[in-house]
Amino acid sequence: MSASVQDSVISISGLTKTYPGSSHPALDHLNLEVARGRIFGLLGPNGAGKTTTISIVCTLLRPDTGRVEVLGQSVPAAAAAIRHAIGLVPQEIALYPTLTIRENLTYFARVLGVDKDLRAARIATCLDLVGLTDMAQRRIDRCSGGMKRRANLAVGILHEPQILLLDEPTVGIDAQSRNLILEQLREFNRQGMTLLYTTHYMREAEEICDEIAIIDAGRVIAQGAPHQLIAGNPACENLEDIFLALTGKALRE
Amino acid sequence: MHLLTHIRKELLLLSRDRAGLLVLFVMPVLLVLVLTLVQDNVFRATGETTTRSLFVNLDEGSFGVDLARGLNATGMLELVEAFAGEKVDLERARQAVFRGDYQFAIVVPADFSATLAAAAESAARATLRGDTVEINPGELRLFFDPAVRGVYRTAVSSSVQRGVISLAMASRSTALMGLLRVDLQESIDEQLQPYGAAGLVRIELPVLADNWLEQPLIELREESAAPEKFPTMPTSVQQNVPAWTLFGMFFIVIPLAGTMIRERQDSTLTRLLTMPVSIVGLLGGKVFAYLLICLLQFALMLLVGRYLLPLLGTPQFDVGLPSGPAGRGRSPWRPVVSDCWWGVVARSFDQAAIFWSGFCGHCRCSGGVMVPVYRCRR
Repeated sequence: MSASVQDSVISISGLTKTYPGSSHPALDHLNLEVARGRIFGLLGPNGAGKTTTISIVCTLLRPDTGRVEVLGQSVPAAAAAIRHAIGLVPQEIALYPTLTIRENLTYFARVLGVDKDLRAARIATCLDLVGLTDMAQRRIDRCSGGMKRRANLAVGILHEPQILLLDEPTVGIDAQSRNLILEQLREFNRQGMTLLYTTHYMREAEEICDEIAIIDAGRVIAQGAPHQLIAGNPACENLEDIFLALTGKALRE
Repeated sequence: MHLLTHIRKELLLLSRDRAGLLVLFVMPVLLVLVLTLVQDNVFRATGETTTRSLFVNLDEGSFGVDLARGLNATGMLELVEAFAGEKVDLERARQAVFRGDYQFAIVVPADFSATLAAAAESAARATLRGDTVEINPGELRLFFDPAVRGVYRTAVSSSVQRGVISLAMASRSTALMGLLRVDLQESIDEQLQPYGAAGLVRIELPVLADNWLEQPLIELREESAAPEKFPTMPTSVQQNVPAWTLFGMFFIVIPLAGTMIRERQDSTLTRLLTMPVSIVGLLGGKVFAYLLICLLQFALMLLVGRYLLPLLGTPQFDVGLPSGPAGRGRSPWRPVVSDCWWGVVARSFDQAAIFWSGFCGHCRCSGGVMVPVYRCRR
C-alpha cells in the first residue's frame, strides 16, 4: 500500500546528489513517499544511496536537484524546524564514551530543548523504554554492544520526534538485543511515530516494516509492503531472494 | 545556543580524560620547574653572581698581587688561589678547569713583574729616543672551560684585560718618569758645564700618587633600560613562569582537538548537526570551557612561581615585574582558538599532533618565548 501525498511525512521527488569527484550520482532522480505512522524500510546494497537519502532528509546534506519535504516543510530551507521534528539514530554509537548513559541523555536533552521541568521524567521514560534504567550510571565505554545500541536509540527519541530515522540500528549486536530493539521500534510506532529505517537484515525488515523500498544506484527499483513484494515475485520465497534478484549477486564494493 | 550546556559537557568530558588533565596541568608545572631551575643555574653562572675563577700566581714580584687585588675589586670575579690552604699550581688549575669545576684560571708566570718592568723600561727608553718601540711583552695565560660560551668568555677576558692594562700603564709610567728625570738631569748638566755649574741643579720630578691610575678620566656607566623599580637582572623565574605557562596553554590541543576529532569519527557531531544546535554554540562551548581551563592553568603556574619555586631556591615570581613577551598580557584566547582550529582542520590525532608541534615551534620562535625578542621579526 503506497502512501498518498496528503499523508506523507516525507516526500521526495526527482532527488539527485553527486559527491564531488565522483563520476556516478549517489542519488539519481529518486522518488519516495513515506506515509505518517508507518515503519518504512529502505533497503539496498552498499553504495545504493540509503545513507545519502537519510542525510538529506535529516538536513545534513544539501541535494543537487529535486524536492524534499519533511512534514510539509522544504529541505533545506526549513532545516531548523525539521530538526525539532526528527530524531536520528546513526549506525555508529554517536555518544560520548567517557560520559555515563544518563549524562549523555541529559546533555542531548538540553541540546534538544527538552523542557527543564520535564527533562528528568523524559530521560527516565526513555531509559525505561530501552531497558537501561538500572544501567544509567554506567559509562558508555563500559557498556556492552547491545546496551550502547539501546542508549544510542534512547537519544534519538528524547524529544519525542514525529519521525525517527534509523541507519542500521541493529548492526553488530546479539539476537536478544536485536529483538528488544525491534520490539521498542514497534512500540514507538504504536505511539504514532513514523520510522524510516535502513538495514541489511532482510528478515528483520520483512518482520518489522509496513512498507519497503529497495534502491540501487540511487533509484528506487521496487517498493511496496513486504508481503506484496513477495507475492509479486513467485520465484522468490522471501525478501532476501527478491533483493538478490533485483540487485544481483555480484559484490558492489 | 545552549552555550552552558556545551561548556558543561566539555568540562565533564575533560574531567574523565586523565591523560588530558595530566598534559594540561602536570606537564607545564614540570616544564616550569625543570627549565626554571636549569636556567637559574645559567643565570647564576653567567652574571647574576660573581664568577669563581682560579688564580695561579707564580710571580715573585708585586704584579700578581696587584692584579689579584684589582680583579677582586671589579666585583665580577672571585679569585680562588688555594685548594684547602694549598696554593694552586698550574697543572691542578688546568685540570680543575677542564673538569668544569671552574670556568677560568688566570696564570701569572714566574718573574712576570721583572719581565714587565724590563719591557716597560725598554719601551720608555725607545720612546724618549724617538725610536720605534719594539719590546718582548710578558705573557699572562687564561685557561677556560671549552664549554663556556663565547660572549661570557669575552666578558671575563675583557675584565682581566682591564686589570692588566691598568698595571701595564703604571709600569710604563714609572719607567718613563725614572728615565725622564735622568735624561733631564744629563741635559741640564751638559748646558751648565761651560759655566762650571754642572751638578749644582738637581732635577726632582714629582712623585706620582699611588692611586693615580685608579682614578679614571672617563667612566662608562652601565644602566638597565628598565625603570628604577625593576631589578637590573632578569631572573629565570620571571622568564620561565610566563613563558611555559603560555606554552602549556597550547597543550590543550590534545584534549580539545581530540574531542573534536572524536566527535567527527564516532558520528556524535553528525547527530548534533541534526539537532537544533548552532555551530557557533557548539564551538563556543569548547572555546569557553577550555578558556576556563587555561585560566586555571595560569593560576596554577603563578602559584608554582610564587610558592613552590622559592622552596627550591629560586627567586619568587613577581607578578608586577616585566616577564618577557609571554607574560605581557598574552591572552589565552589565542591558544584556545588556534587549538580549536586544529581540531577543525585535523582529520586524525596524528595530524593534530603534527600541526600542533609545528605551530608551537613557530610560536616559540616568533613570539619571543624561546628566542629573545630582539631576534623576532616584527
